[in-house]
Amino acid sequence: MFQPASLKGESPVPIDEKIRRKYLILYILIIILSFIPCSLFEYWYVTYFWSETIFWIFFLLLPFNGLVAIYIIQFSAILASVLILKVVNLIHLPKEGVFKRSLQDRDYFFWNIRNIIKKWPIYVMASNPFPWFKTRFTLRFFGVKIGKKTICDNSWISSEFVSIGKNVIIGMNSSVLSFGIEQDNFILKKVIVENDVIIGAKCVLLPGTLIKRNVSLSAHSYTNHNAVLEENSLYMGHPAKLKKKD
Amino acid sequence: MESVDDSKFEMEFISTSGVYKTSFSLIIIIQLFVGGLVLFFVNLWFINSLYYLLTGTQFYSFGLKAEWYYWLLLPLNIYGNIFLFVFTVIVFSAGIFRLLNKLSHPREGVFQRGCKDWKFMHRRFWTAFFPIWLARALPLPWLDIIAYRFFGTRVGRSVVLYEGYIDPEFVEIGDFTMTSLNICIFSHLIYQDKVIIKRVKVGKACVVGPHTIISPGTVMEDFAVLGVNSYTKINQKLEGNLIHVGTPVSITLPIQSIEESQQKAVKVKAESNIPKDGENSPNLKEGD
Repeated sequence: MFQPASLKGESPVPIDEKIRRKYLILYILIIILSFIPCSLFEYWYVTYFWSETIFWIFFLLLPFNGLVAIYIIQFSAILASVLILKVVNLIHLPKEGVFKRSLQDRDYFFWNIRNIIKKWPIYVMASNPFPWFKTRFTLRFFGVKIGKKTICDNSWISSEFVSIGKNVIIGMNSSVLSFGIEQDNFILKKVIVENDVIIGAKCVLLPGTLIKRNVSLSAHSYTNHNAVLEENSLYMGHPAKLKKKD
Repeated sequence: MESVDDSKFEMEFISTSGVYKTSFSLIIIIQLFVGGLVLFFVNLWFINSLYYLLTGTQFYSFGLKAEWYYWLLLPLNIYGNIFLFVFTVIVFSAGIFRLLNKLSHPREGVFQRGCKDWKFMHRRFWTAFFPIWLARALPLPWLDIIAYRFFGTRVGRSVVLYEGYIDPEFVEIGDFTMTSLNICIFSHLIYQDKVIIKRVKVGKACVVGPHTIISPGTVMEDFAVLGVNSYTKINQKLEGNLIHVGTPVSITLPIQSIEESQQKAVKVKAESNIPKDGENSPNLKEGD
């Protein structure tokens, strides 16, 4: 629960360098769009409270002002990026599969574009210290289903093709990856974690993993591509193997 | 709920320590408010004299009419504000932490999830969360150590804590110890529907390698080294003056001095007939 500032739970995205340079404007556009409601709010706050009679209210509410400003930025960043994402998805629908890792491949190209759009809202979500509208809230807008009573704030979860059930505990520093790079190939496959699963610290779930109900995955282990972990059992090792079944 | 006798309790696997969001996590707003209140009064004194502002005989809007020395000291003011905020938040929440400790004394053992100790564990975690986050976000190496000391963790002198997760209670870290990047020191562990709480002791001059997990009940004796990418089992004892490696820790290696390892390297080179650097150089000259 005590993540240092540098270990925040940002989604892992190795965006292609050419895309990062070429579509920087898109990234900056989302940042500017997300700051407009915040600056309107700050303008109202200063003009309303900064007067000779009630100036002390201005200072008293300053911490809450910071709290509200962070959430206004986060909400408007999510709104802006979701709107742009909808337009991009109309041009090319995201789909699973194995693709070539070059920008000529449309699926790989649009995966990069989608991630550069999501980068700013996820950065804001991960950097703020307040625990309320974190991973579960933000990733739901990008199509990741995360159930209630799930601990997932200290782990790196991919921002698409992931579904996590209710009452799941995902350990510190674990990563849930729905994408993978193997030599020239680029793999996109859905990761499904069902209800009541405990995933230990520093685990890695590779694309295509299906974890069924009530599975415990021991700390410091990883699952193979397209691995299926059966119900009510304990898995551990590199890669995860069946250890015990109830 | 009574704590189970944990001497017989054995876990097959290490999971993680985690905390649910409860309504008590709203305490962060109170911490923010208290920090801001102290900032408010100190800044009143800084921008203008407190007396004039409270009586209202003189009012400076945004310090625009302030003297030249105000603008000169503005960077110092901003920097001081940050520290003032962090320290008031740390001291205030340390007070709440002590109060919670008096309400329910923190105990070691195995507890059912949802019992009284589980609830108070959550409360203690949430009070310590925001100040420690603040201390770790600031670029000062000693601030997080001070923050941990305020929350009952015994941290010795000359300790290096790199970026990693350390639970705020039931952890002892000795003098001159170094914990590397991305480690997890857990004194709480979730196991099925139970939570196990046990004291972790890290001795003097230990090195905890990167990407390791130290699980509850681990005792690292003085001068022990925990190798990269390994984790310890519950109640495991790591002997001093040795390197421990494995998932979970099973292999021990001796610590060598530099002279010893250099002598060994010379021996190995002589045995395998690898030409020395000096002998290689004439060949290079011929190639040129």
